[in-house]
Amino acid sequence: MSFEPPIPPIIDAHAMLGAEYHYELGADELLRRMDAAGVETALVRPLGAELAVLNAEGNARLLSAGPRLKALVSVNPWFGARGIDELKRCRERGAAGLFLHPSRQGFMPTDDHVRPLIEFAETARWPVMVHTGTYLHSDIIALGELARRFKNVSFIAGFGGFTDMWFELPGVFKETPNLLLDASMMWGDAVEEIARDCGCERVLFGSAEPRNRYASVLKMLKRLELPAAGMRAILVDNAKRVFRLP
Amino acid sequence: MKIIDFHSHLQEEWLGRKLLNAKQFVEGMDRCGIEAACIFTLAGFYGNAPAENDRLAADSAHYPHRLIPFVTVDPKLGAPAVAEVERCLSIPNGRFRGVKFHSWMQAFAPSLVRETMIGILRCAAKHKAPVLFHDGTPPYSTTFQIAALARWVPGAQIVLGHAGLSDYVYPAGQLMRDIPNLYACLCGPKPGDLEYLLKAAGPERIVWGSDFGFSHWRVLSERLDDVLEATLDDAQRERVFYSNAARLLQWG
Repeated sequence: MSFEPPIPPIIDAHAMLGAEYHYELGADELLRRMDAAGVETALVRPLGAELAVLNAEGNARLLSAGPRLKALVSVNPWFGARGIDELKRCRERGAAGLFLHPSRQGFMPTDDHVRPLIEFAETARWPVMVHTGTYLHSDIIALGELARRFKNVSFIAGFGGFTDMWFELPGVFKETPNLLLDASMMWGDAVEEIARDCGCERVLFGSAEPRNRYASVLKMLKRLELPAAGMRAILVDNAKRVFRLP
Repeated sequence: MKIIDFHSHLQEEWLGRKLLNAKQFVEGMDRCGIEAACIFTLAGFYGNAPAENDRLAADSAHYPHRLIPFVTVDPKLGAPAVAEVERCLSIPNGRFRGVKFHSWMQAFAPSLVRETMIGILRCAAKHKAPVLFHDGTPPYSTTFQIAALARWVPGAQIVLGHAGLSDYVYPAGQLMRDIPNLYACLCGPKPGDLEYLLKAAGPERIVWGSDFGFSHWRVLSERLDDVLEATLDDAQRERVFYSNAARLLQWG
């Protein structure tokens, strides 16, 4: 997929490594797909058991995946202090951010026992991607509430509320300046509305590989016919800024 | 390749949002190579469903080879809802070819209107008309709630309008594997989901839909990509895009 003017190496803000239900993806295959799509770097998060309970195994998978794959590590908030210890180890190994999945991990974003994880992320200067779109726990408005409490942390709405929280996106994004949209799953109209009303700096390109495909998301973005600077922000610059990539 | 869109909404305005008229709708279909589209109401989910049914029939009369109207009724009304389904499906020349429910927007749990729903499903089965439900959204439209309807009336053809949508794709495949009269419309799930659904349920019971009309024409292209970017062989792709739908709709 080519863009005019040419875009610097693209950064995928949301891919998944491991196995969960019918999804399975290893690092080698992801790198192959990235090469085919012209993607230089991908932020990867765990799947399945490695997301829900076997966090150390999942994080180790991400952190050993090579220099082009940056780890969005995860711990289940119910592990308490043990989870913080795991995050410390991940920070030492170069993790780029924290990923939480309230539905898989069984918590509300606003739960008190989530707070230490966010405080750790704030200290580590990590962004926090939170899965959204699944009733009940992954309510995007609940993520908005969490983001209000931690105004110095960049939060990313993983999957962008896909699907049936689409009507909540405009309000939540207008009211929550430290919230970004992962565009990996949502349809173009919803992405365009956030880019138009809140600015392209609030949108991140993501692939949702292996569920979605690079080509699908890149074509969706291209059809939006955004200004060149906005497209570059979505595909490259926002991710560099948020994940503090070189 | 011929394509039937099994899930779209034709409504000029909805909740203050300007949408598309029939001419604009067909232009969007032409732009993306869609031969025919099943058209559903939006306003009829809240208001006068019979008037909306008549309006959809009138729209389709202008494009008889392109627009395929589906009936919507409010099952909370009881017997009159069954009668309205019968009225529409009995129209000479078979203009209506299916029934559409959006139990979340229409504010009913199928179990709370069970007897009426069974009457509607039996009526649809008599006319060999598929019944498509929005699925994938609690509290009234979970994929399990919709799949249960297929067990109530085994002679009915029940279509999961979103094939599990976001969070119910895996159970949707399991349910289709176990319930022979359950079908799914790929309208929202992604290429990785389609590959799984075909393995779980076989190639004969998945159709393709877009939700076009509710959204910009671009959504047609995006939803086409959900099939085109999946790893399928040509026969599988043809079935999903056309022949499964044509068989269900008795089309062509």
